[in-house]
Amino acid sequence: MSNITENAPILQVTDLYVAYGPILALHGISLEVHKGELVSICGVNGAGKSTVLKAIAGVLKPRSGSIRFKGKDVTGWKPEQLHKHGMALVPEGREIFPSLTVEENLRLGAFGRYQARRFAEDLEDFFTLFPILKERYHQAGGLLSGGEQQMLAIARGLISHPDLLMMDEPSLGLSPNRVDQIFELIMELKSRGITILLVEQNAQRALEIADRAYLFSNGRVEYAGRPQDMAGKVDITSVYLGGQKGGDVE
Amino acid sequence: MNMKDFIKDLDFSRKSSTVVFLIAILVLIGAFIWWLNIPFIEDIFTNGTIMLIMVLGFQLFMGNSGILNWSYVGYVGIGAFASAIFSMTPALKALQIPTMYPFLISLHLPFPLALIAGALVAMIVAALVAWPLMRLSDSVGAITQFALLIVINVLLSQWSQVTNGPRTFTLGGTRLTSFWLVLGVAVLVIILVYCYKESSLGLKLRATRDDRYAARSSGINFVAVRYVAYVASAGIGGLAGGLYSHYILSITAASFYLNELFLLLSMLVIGGSMSVSGAFFGTLLVTLLRQGLRQVELFLYKTGFEASGSAEIVVAIILIAFLIWRPNGITGGRELTWQSIKRMLPIASEKKDPISNNLKKEEKA
Repeated sequence: MSNITENAPILQVTDLYVAYGPILALHGISLEVHKGELVSICGVNGAGKSTVLKAIAGVLKPRSGSIRFKGKDVTGWKPEQLHKHGMALVPEGREIFPSLTVEENLRLGAFGRYQARRFAEDLEDFFTLFPILKERYHQAGGLLSGGEQQMLAIARGLISHPDLLMMDEPSLGLSPNRVDQIFELIMELKSRGITILLVEQNAQRALEIADRAYLFSNGRVEYAGRPQDMAGKVDITSVYLGGQKGGDVE
Repeated sequence: MNMKDFIKDLDFSRKSSTVVFLIAILVLIGAFIWWLNIPFIEDIFTNGTIMLIMVLGFQLFMGNSGILNWSYVGYVGIGAFASAIFSMTPALKALQIPTMYPFLISLHLPFPLALIAGALVAMIVAALVAWPLMRLSDSVGAITQFALLIVINVLLSQWSQVTNGPRTFTLGGTRLTSFWLVLGVAVLVIILVYCYKESSLGLKLRATRDDRYAARSSGINFVAVRYVAYVASAGIGGLAGGLYSHYILSITAASFYLNELFLLLSMLVIGGSMSVSGAFFGTLLVTLLRQGLRQVELFLYKTGFEASGSAEIVVAIILIAFLIWRPNGITGGRELTWQSIKRMLPIASEKKDPISNNLKKEEKA
């Protein structure tokens, strides 16, 4: 299942420290993502999962440490530069643009990355992945339901053809069957060869689909490796209180 | 982009129909008033259309960025004074404003060029001061814009060598701003403001209005897109100011201050600041309302009641009511399009309404 390539990782984070004012949120995080991999970051609230994504995407400035993306040192780059360089972040809380139409939301994702002509071609493909977006193409994003907004947020990230797609809590606040849809979608994206870094509270589901996983606790990496090896090595419930011990949902 | 894609992109029923409708309404009203040939009503129309240009320029930045732009009316004033200085003959200037700098007295341009030069001066001032301010959002952004308005207003009202200071600046000569010129400029500005809103620059700015952090992660440099809109907005304001000063023929710095700003703001908010149609219908509605109230005031005055200023109070109360019950204005922030008209017509059955349609589906499910 896991096929870690010998090549250099597409994303390499080394010894990253990030602070909110005086409070240190990340204490020397190191992680890497290889091309075509689906890597999950799990952990309890406040473990630093979202912080690390924000730091990688350039929204937060790291205090120290380095971030290499596609072989380049991108530490300290601005979010807009990183977007142009092929990094897409689907932020937490379905941050779509509510007053803009679905079409405009999608067009925004494509800016700076490629021309309008390819956008039209891609749309057809997108509508097979996200049929709901075709139905609501001319509606304001704010009128969509929570699950639909999440679909739109992911579609907006995808339409830039990113080399790395980062998703921050895509299942947060959604109804159970919407959560199923989101995870099916993530599986579909993975099968298409898209490199994904996924932050999820729903550890059970996230570990099921991941090639590799990082377990965060208090801003440190508690465990890194294949999810199937994880059970024996760490007591998940001690690190991650939200996980159901041995409870397989399906 | 080939021709077919281009036409498809215009998307008449959802997009370009807005421009066609707004221009058609404006030109029809104008033609009708011209045909009526009553100077009093022509005067109201010309004034109202100048206001429309100002509100459109106001909408360009404020509506798309969501930042309350207090300083806008200052740029209207800069354009008004600058274009007047350019268009007046040196002899006239020496007579009217003897305190003026000699090099300004010697400047002279034909009227159309003077209008453009006035707009350019407003844009240059905006371009010089705006960059560090564009980082600021929300109340901080609004407060800095207010402070900037104070600076501009003090300069306009105290710089005797340029604006005749606190005294009235009289242009003299004939009224150069004509009925048809104002109408023509308004048509051009409607096209410009709408095209801007639909362009990629406008779309980026609207995205920053919704959420500037998410916008940054989508590769948008919000400072740059705001800056472009701010300078363009100042240019349209300056142009409208030039038309205004060559219509009214005597101006003071007080003409471009809080009263004027409040009027622009109420027009834009009552109409709906997020759309060009909102700017258009807000201006139309508030202009009609104020003129109606003014007639009532006159009538009351004749019957012995002193009620001057009541028009402003009524407009203010309506503005408050809108902000409470309909903060996105009469248009709800949407544009008037062929689609929206079809939806309003009774023939437009529920079948065609995707929202209620989906709601029904969900109810069934």
